[in-house]
Amino acid sequence: MTPLDPFDRLRALRSMMQIRAFETALAKRKDHGFQLLSSGEEAVAVGLSMVLRADDDLLTGGRSIGPALARGVDPGALMAELLGRAAGLNGGRAGRGHLSDPRSGFFGAHAVVGGNISVAAGVALARKLSLSEAVVVIMFGDGACGQGVLHETLNIAANWRLPLLFLCNNNGLSVSTPWDAAMATPRLSDLGATFGMPATTIDGLDVELVASTAGEAIAAIRKGGGPAFIEAKSIRLRSHSTTARETRTREALAELETHCPISALAARMKLSPDEIAELQRTVDGAVDAAERFAEASGYPEPGDVLTHVQ
Amino acid sequence: MSNSPAPKPRKMFFREAIASAVRAAMLEDPTVLVMGQDVGSFGGSYREFDGLYREFGADRVRDMPVAENATIGIGAGAAAAGFRPLVCITYMDFLMLGFDPLINYAAKLRYKTAGALTAPLVVKTTAGAQGQGVAHSQCLDAWLMSVPGIVVAAPSNPQDAFSLMAQALRHDGPVVYIDHKRLFPSPGEVSVDAGLQPFGVAAVRRRGEDVTIISHSYMVQVALKAAARLAEAGISCEVIDLRTLAPLDVDTIEASLRRTGRLVTLEEGQTTCGVGAEVMAQVFSRMGPRPFVRIGALPAPVSSNPVYEALCIPDPERICDAVTALLKNAPPA
Repeated sequence: MTPLDPFDRLRALRSMMQIRAFETALAKRKDHGFQLLSSGEEAVAVGLSMVLRADDDLLTGGRSIGPALARGVDPGALMAELLGRAAGLNGGRAGRGHLSDPRSGFFGAHAVVGGNISVAAGVALARKLSLSEAVVVIMFGDGACGQGVLHETLNIAANWRLPLLFLCNNNGLSVSTPWDAAMATPRLSDLGATFGMPATTIDGLDVELVASTAGEAIAAIRKGGGPAFIEAKSIRLRSHSTTARETRTREALAELETHCPISALAARMKLSPDEIAELQRTVDGAVDAAERFAEASGYPEPGDVLTHVQ
Repeated sequence: MSNSPAPKPRKMFFREAIASAVRAAMLEDPTVLVMGQDVGSFGGSYREFDGLYREFGADRVRDMPVAENATIGIGAGAAAAGFRPLVCITYMDFLMLGFDPLINYAAKLRYKTAGALTAPLVVKTTAGAQGQGVAHSQCLDAWLMSVPGIVVAAPSNPQDAFSLMAQALRHDGPVVYIDHKRLFPSPGEVSVDAGLQPFGVAAVRRRGEDVTIISHSYMVQVALKAAARLAEAGISCEVIDLRTLAPLDVDTIEASLRRTGRLVTLEEGQTTCGVGAEVMAQVFSRMGPRPFVRIGALPAPVSSNPVYEALCIPDPERICDAVTALLKNAPPA
């Protein structure tokens, strides 16, 4: 593993803390329907985003807020979108399940589990046919690994040598079902290996390991090596969604907290409590600003309900 | 107005009209792709892509594995990223395997991105019964009419096969283009310079006074046969070809029905929640109800058994009987 340099380490830490603060603030609100949060999974999205280029495309499933922030989507426009406001990224129509901001390299989320995997392969085909060097990344969870479309797409992507990275964020649970109760394969990366692509399973709580592994995979893809598969094993510190009931014990959750990827990096960086507090103030300030931006915007006009349908 | 003579139409089969429209679009626009099972050197299951692989090569005419879900998803993704893929799903029965990317992604992309992204995707699929059994014969056309964001086109003759395909490949949103097993070998005059066929414009195929028969795809040919027979019995049928089911041309149906006063809806699919049910609801809500009859497949799976298949699917005899009964029950004033 190649460790990040001190500057990038700090960037990674701030980005992970930004996601945690944003999602924590969102979870406290009551005006957003429900949300799929990514606490415990920040190192996967951030480690990946450290090694993406501006012209690369990221697509995700519905658990999209962390990846969108990591990719550089504007927090204010994102918060407005999640709260259904007109100033949102997508006019408030998409919500967390369907966010998109292609200009930031976040091509979009699609909330049907596994549904965006084949779409990402289509984007990768478009990039390949355009002779672009861009790489497309599809992030999905362990829950998507049972979907037939993943297996269909792995086959086609391998056959066509598409510039596509399959990044499986295995947070251990598909709503309430443990991943190893749902899947027969001992490692989810074996699914990629079956189709002959480079495939590996890594600790998704180590942002530096994610960045280094994804960086190597993406470099090989960019050279025309075809698709790759990374399973990054993370943890889910919250219930499936802001409205789903928690199925684990308090003791189990407390034990999981000791594996927090943000604390792990902060400890490795030997930051003082004051330095951490200063960072926390920075990210909290950004979240306050995002909430103020969102709240300043109204809901979309009722008269526009039928626009952009066809 | 130009004084130059109209371009001479060419005689071609329905399947050739499709290939001709796709070829013209591919020549004009390098982003047009064809993807599907056996579309490459095989030329399509009904030879409706004949010659395209040889002319445009494997990058633009792509044979797919048997994976309808991923095929439509890849088409939708490539469309969202700037290409214009035509995805061929061999039979409409298999379209269900790709409903997620078609209905949950492509049909909603423009809406959910507030117009920032669109999916100019054409999904061409083949409906209709021709001896292939319960899972290779269905006409599920009506299912698609209720999905906001999708155009549903269903040509009945070679000219429309050409013009609607030409329009579909230039449209900025998903189009499901439904052809029919029994139409591929049908010949007709095709003017390739006739221009595009706008969606939502029905065609009156036969003028008549006593009853309006609305239909689409292969059933238009069956309706015309029935209308010819009924004419011999002194009954005058107006036959309307919907051409696109979404958008639906209610104006043309309403204008006809105001003259004839009786409506027959004819489709090869099921009548429950069918095309006819929707047409009646829309046209009657404008002008009030009129005497009607709806004709479609019997409410059973369509078997490959020749006796059962023929029983299930509407034929001229069933249409003639239904029209005769309608006139008897609702005689001219």
